[in-house]
Amino acid sequence: MLLCDFHIHTKYSDGSVELRRTVDLFGQAGFDVIAITDHVVNGDSSFGKLAHRFRFTINEQNFAEYMAHIREETERARNKYGMLIIPGVEISKNYISSDKSAHILLIDIKEFIPACWSYEKIFLEAKEQNALIVACHPHHSSETATRDTLFLWNNRDKYAKYIDAWEIANRDDVFNVISLKKYPYIANSDFHRARHIYSWKTLLNCEKNIDSIKQCIRHNKGVAITLFRN
Amino acid sequence: MEIFYIFLCITILGLTGYGFQIWAIRTTLKEEGAGKGKEYGSEPVPFPAVSILKPLKGLDDNLFDNLESICLQDYPEYEIIFSLQDYNDPAYKVVRKIKDKYPDKNITILVEQCDDGLNPKVNNLIPAYRIAQYEHILISDSNVIVDEHYLKSIVKHMAEPDVGLVSNIITGIGGRSLGSVFENLHLNSFIMGSVCFLDRFLKMPCVVGKSMLMKKADLNAIGGFKAVKDVLAEDYIIGKKMQAKAKKVILSKHLIRNINEYWGVRRFLNRHTRWGKLRWKIGGVSYVSELIGNPVFMSFLPIVLYEPSRITMSFAMFVSSLKILGDMWIGKLITRQDNWSRLHENGKLNSALSMNPLWYFFAPVKDLIIGFIWFVPLISNTVVWRGNRYIIGKDSLLSPCPESGFWSWRYRLLDAVKTRLA
Repeated sequence: MLLCDFHIHTKYSDGSVELRRTVDLFGQAGFDVIAITDHVVNGDSSFGKLAHRFRFTINEQNFAEYMAHIREETERARNKYGMLIIPGVEISKNYISSDKSAHILLIDIKEFIPACWSYEKIFLEAKEQNALIVACHPHHSSETATRDTLFLWNNRDKYAKYIDAWEIANRDDVFNVISLKKYPYIANSDFHRARHIYSWKTLLNCEKNIDSIKQCIRHNKGVAITLFRN
Repeated sequence: MEIFYIFLCITILGLTGYGFQIWAIRTTLKEEGAGKGKEYGSEPVPFPAVSILKPLKGLDDNLFDNLESICLQDYPEYEIIFSLQDYNDPAYKVVRKIKDKYPDKNITILVEQCDDGLNPKVNNLIPAYRIAQYEHILISDSNVIVDEHYLKSIVKHMAEPDVGLVSNIITGIGGRSLGSVFENLHLNSFIMGSVCFLDRFLKMPCVVGKSMLMKKADLNAIGGFKAVKDVLAEDYIIGKKMQAKAKKVILSKHLIRNINEYWGVRRFLNRHTRWGKLRWKIGGVSYVSELIGNPVFMSFLPIVLYEPSRITMSFAMFVSSLKILGDMWIGKLITRQDNWSRLHENGKLNSALSMNPLWYFFAPVKDLIIGFIWFVPLISNTVVWRGNRYIIGKDSLLSPCPESGFWSWRYRLLDAVKTRLA
């Protein structure tokens, strides 16, 4: 089984650990697959404007540099740890109302996708790029410091057809509603700090290459979740 | 005012002891530098095959690199036995990767539940020792990183037939959290200073279990691992038993590094409370010397016990400044070592693992905490180690802590408070 984490932030957005160090943390702990998914924040709200002001977001200008750095680390991680790194982003539509907010992981993205686009346009572009679409922390979370992002769950009838998987567990939270709806699922750390490595993770029973991993998650066969503790 | 003068005298005594510790570290490390040529030089030194036993439990900081470093030894023949208690241990995945990366190395992964004793590390070592092929065995903890000459540098001491055990000096590096900074400062000042001081001036063996090289015949002669299966300080007791059998216990001057990067303060407190209890049970009255040997703590006591006047506060600040400078000097001596730069050149240690000079300003805070921790062993005789609670007796002998009985309510109360706080 491959030990995986598909939701990881670095100093490219609001993470506290730089990319190289993040890769080393996961590599030293024996992970097989990780996805680096820094925030791409919408600029059409006051929250989004703040994120852009303080550079807590990937934007069109630094996207190429971000991808190049991930590619460089992918090579290093493969040689040193035998670990696969997949580039991604977390499209973050942040609004004052939790019901309007949504975060979407796009894993194995190739080109920049702005967060201010409409949901349909983002999903279709991601499909075009053959990226994996994951709805993250879709329900109420126990963390007081973070805001809930409920838009996708509240509008699941409309958007579920675009979504490849839903986060059934994020860091310390488990969202049982995903299980009740029988949606495809994965579990991630939403890594921002070193201690977040000890959290929910995904186990995949497939080959260690991007296509097999995406297929495994989309078909949701051979997927398990585990609470990674020391 | 008398109180102030009493503590002034004790502090000066402590500072003198600290000065001797620095001197011991300096001369010990200098000796290592001077002896380098002799170690792997022109003289033919026999290099017997060695079985390296690596007991594993959970993920240590930098675990992959630590384990990889032992696979890259410049040594003719050795085997590595990674020993775990169960397959669900997160370290299992890491050792699998190491084995896959080095298929040409003689690596065995042994997963076996062993409940022979109360010391979990010894329980981990017993099955590994059983399958070890060679006469020379090296116990190397999973939280240390070594350079490629490590094995050669310690095995050379075994050429003398009366040598029973070789251990090493440990230094703490890394530190991205307050707990790690405290831990590394303490390892590099108090622990390293005490080990070098005891070895150099008092000729007392002070074995730190992170690296112990022995011969099977000698270990069997003192009863093997079974003889220490129920003691907390198995390293110290093995050293003591070796000496009782007229075998020399050598402190190799080859520095090995213990990487501590993401420790919480609670973990630092837990470890040093446990180690304090251990030293109190082993050392008895001599444990008092540790308090006297903490000049920072002693210099702050007049502020509390006498008055927070200009003179008492200036004195405490002066002593704290001296301690910071002393710790900085030790740090400089450590980084001057040859194998430090070798690890950096090989890319095994990145620059982020070096001590940031600003961290030394935490040294007085750490010493104050250690001063308070010193009192805990006087009122508590239980230790919680890897999730189990034990009563610690003479020479660190462990016995299971009763979960029922008249006094057991204390432990249950403590557990309840801890759970609540968590």
